Amino acid sequence: MSIINYAAKVINFKVVYYGPGLAGKTANLQYIHRCLPETNKGKMVSLATGDDRTLFFDFLPVSALGVRGFTTRFQLYTVPGQTHYNMTRKLVLRGVDGVVFVADSQWARLRENVESLRNLDENLKEYGLALAGMPYVVQYNKRDLGPVAPLDYLEYLLNRGARRVPSFEAVAVDGTGVFDTLNTVSRMILVKEFGQAEEAARESS
Amino acid sequence: MKAHDVVIHEADATRIDAVLQRFLGDSSSAAALLIDRSGQPLAETGTARTLDIGSIGALAAAAFSSTAALAQLLGESEFSVLFHEGVRESMHVSTVDEQTILLAIFDERTTIGMVRLFAREASRAIGVILEETRKRPKRVGALAAPLTADEARRASDHRPA
Repeated sequence: MSIINYAAKVINFKVVYYGPGLAGKTANLQYIHRCLPETNKGKMVSLATGDDRTLFFDFLPVSALGVRGFTTRFQLYTVPGQTHYNMTRKLVLRGVDGVVFVADSQWARLRENVESLRNLDENLKEYGLALAGMPYVVQYNKRDLGPVAPLDYLEYLLNRGARRVPSFEAVAVDGTGVFDTLNTVSRMILVKEFGQAEEAARESS
Repeated sequence: MKAHDVVIHEADATRIDAVLQRFLGDSSSAAALLIDRSGQPLAETGTARTLDIGSIGALAAAAFSSTAALAQLLGESEFSVLFHEGVRESMHVSTVDEQTILLAIFDERTTIGMVRLFAREASRAIGVILEETRKRPKRVGALAAPLTADEARRASDHRPA
C-alpha cells in the first residue's frame, strides 16, 4: 500500500522480509544497514529477544535516487520467523507493497520453508492480498552452509506457482545476493505502482 | 481489511497541517504526528527538535496494532487510545479512522485530559479530509506518465557505499 505525498514530495513503500526462523531475514537488513551510505538509510530498529531472535520486527528505512523530483522511500521490515509468533507476523504485513521470501537452503530446513510460505499466503489473504498479484522475490540464503539443497529442487518446492518470480542465491551475512534481492523487489514495486513505458520496457527486457 | 493506497495532494496537506496546528495550540502539545497504521508517517507538526519520525511511526503503529490485537482477545473491537507516560514527556496515540492514527507528544504544560479532548476533535476533522483524499486521482502531474526503464532502475538501485 503505497503512500504518495505530493506536498512533501515523498513516496513510501513497505517491503517485508518473510521466511522461517533463522533463515537470515535480520541478517539481510543488517548487511544493508551496514553498507548503505548514511544519506540513503535511516536508523535500524530491532525488537528482539534477549538471545537476538526477532520478537516483533526489524525496521530499516532506505532510499535510492528519487523519481521526477520525488524521494522514494522503501521501509524494510522483517517478521519473527518462529511459528508461534503468527499474530505479530500478520500485524507486520499490514500495508505491504512487496515481499522477499528468505528461504534457508539447508536440507534440514526445507519443511520449515514450505510451512512458512504457506503461512505467508494465508496471512496475506487476511488483508485481501495474494502473492500472485504482488511484487515478490525469493532468496535462497545460506548457500555457504552444508548440506544445502540444489537450486532446482528449491525452485520446485518454493517457486513454481502460476507466476514464477525472480530468485537469488545468497549468503546474507557476507552480503552475497542481498542487494540484488533488494533492488529487484524495489524495482518490481515501482513498476507495479507507476507502470513502465512500453518502449522502455521492451528495451530493458 | 484491505488497506487502501494513500495520496496526499498539496491542498489536503495544507488542510491537515492547519488541523494539527490548531490541535497543538488548543491542547498545548509539543508535537503531533499523523501515522498510517502500516507504520508510515503521513504528516507532522510542531516538532521543535529533530525526531526520528520514521522509527516513531513504525513503533507507534506496531504498538497500536498489537494493542488492537490484545483488545480483540478480550472481545473488544480495539482500544482506541494508547497512553505512555514518561518523566518529562508523554505520548498519546488515538484512532483517526480504520487506517490512520494520531500521535501527540506532550509535557507538563498540559494534561492527558486536554490532549484527549482535543485529539478527538482533531481526529474527526482529519478523518473528513482523509476520506476526501481517497477519492482523488492517485497519479497526477509529474507522476502521471509511466516510468521509463531508466527511471525505474535509478529509483530502485540501492548501492553499498
